[in-house]
Amino acid sequence: MIPGGAAAGLVGIGLRAPHVAEILATRPPVGWLEVHTENYLGGGPAPRALDRVRGEHPISLHGVGLSLGSAEGLDPGHLARVVALTRRIEPVLVSEHLSWSIAGGAYLNHLLPLPYTEETLAVVAAHVTETQEALGRPLLVENPSSYLRFRNSPIPEPDFLAELARRTGCLLLCDLNNVFVSCHNFDQDPVAYLDALPARAIGEIHLAGHAKNDADGRVILIDDHGSRVSDEVWALYERALERFGPRPTLIEWDTDLPALAVLLDEARSAETILARSGAGGGSRALAA
Amino acid sequence: MPSLREVESELRLALLGGDDEPARTRVRGDGLEPAARLAIYRHHVVATLTAALRTTFPVVCRLVDERFFAYAADRYIQTDPPSGPCLFEYGAGFADFLAEFPACRSLPYLADVARLEWAMQRALHAPDAIPLPIRVMQGVAPDLAASLTLTIDASVTLLSSRYPVDRIWRANQADEPEPAVVDLGVGGAQLEIRRCGDDVVFCAVDPSVFAFRKALAGGADLAAATAEALAADSMFDLGKALTELFADGLPIALGSTPSTSGDHPCQRQP
Repeated sequence: MIPGGAAAGLVGIGLRAPHVAEILATRPPVGWLEVHTENYLGGGPAPRALDRVRGEHPISLHGVGLSLGSAEGLDPGHLARVVALTRRIEPVLVSEHLSWSIAGGAYLNHLLPLPYTEETLAVVAAHVTETQEALGRPLLVENPSSYLRFRNSPIPEPDFLAELARRTGCLLLCDLNNVFVSCHNFDQDPVAYLDALPARAIGEIHLAGHAKNDADGRVILIDDHGSRVSDEVWALYERALERFGPRPTLIEWDTDLPALAVLLDEARSAETILARSGAGGGSRALAA
Repeated sequence: MPSLREVESELRLALLGGDDEPARTRVRGDGLEPAARLAIYRHHVVATLTAALRTTFPVVCRLVDERFFAYAADRYIQTDPPSGPCLFEYGAGFADFLAEFPACRSLPYLADVARLEWAMQRALHAPDAIPLPIRVMQGVAPDLAASLTLTIDASVTLLSSRYPVDRIWRANQADEPEPAVVDLGVGGAQLEIRRCGDDVVFCAVDPSVFAFRKALAGGADLAAATAEALAADSMFDLGKALTELFADGLPIALGSTPSTSGDHPCQRQP
């Protein structure tokens, strides 16, 4: 449990390098902080600063590089580095993505889409299990934002995630902006998507902004984490809390990073909605 | 049905600028051309990797301008994509790529500027280590001193260039509105780059000290490193060089070359 317990303690913000000094100096009242694991796997000032931050705030490690969906297998060297950082930081949450980034030894720096087949399910489940055994704790797996679907992809994404959680015991990180973006891009209903997810497996919620791009006259939403959370995604958040119950919730911002105060303001909006939803009773608290 | 491995291999080819036809046949249009959907991903891959290279090589970018840098980065990403997900480790081969890139021939110093920026990047993220105090040398038996090796802190690079890359770097910092003119005729540079606290520093080093430290960093024993230093300058002073080496905090472990003894010549002092 974290101090405060209720709505305030459940909402965190993504911590990016330009905000580290201000976080250390001002110690703002934010429930927890999430960082990208891969930015802290070297030596030097960045991991040293994170060591200081973790003395003041609970930390969540959010990975972007394990490539859980790579057919060629996990990189054991990278997994070992993630395990070592996890032991040092003792995060409250450890998460990754339902995606792949590595093929033929090349890292493509994108959370790339997977065909949702039985073969893929077996590959991802094996890699989630391998990761959880190495970490000695459950992993949270995040739904991706998508701009394409494969012809041969018979399993709906929420069903795929539900079965992954059932087989491996992993938890799910439900990124509501990703749900909204992907459902828009494929003319699907985001509420039906949420309804298909197993509420008990949801361990964290992500909120972020997206961009609207024109592609040959068609609006494609891009998950750029470069603006405030949209009204539609706030509405989806209320729906998700109704369906899942209160959950640790993160404000993510990466592109055109604004002042820290803007992120804290977004966090307060999330706290208000969480409090209205009845946070405290039956909430999934942060626990190391 | 294609295997997952085939699908990923085809997508990789399309995203790295190769033939996108195999990937296109796997993708649903959903109201768009499959190629347009693949292009969204390709754009993100190239834009974010280019941004990572721009962060690591800001002076190279300033020397060639943003547009040319993006062009060179696009070609580099295709030929040498990252091998792992830590982007601060991406770009080890960028200097060699620039040295061979025909479009950069008019800037012969560019590759060495990239080598300096890469050394600074390496230094910033090198593993943390505790420097040895010089008193460990007191525990070395005199007859074993010649075969002593010193592991040098991993943040250190010793960089030699025919061009004054240190002056070029300083003249092209972001806070310099107009880059100063650097006279290439002033000659080359022998630099040591390393991390000092939270900062990366570099400085020019005398030829004999440069040869001595570079040999040690390459695994040479004290006798071989001293020979290298004396070849650079017959007045080389080993005692002074060792004192400065430890004062700079460079040695982090002691060992010995295997030819003389299988045992370490000394134990690290408590």
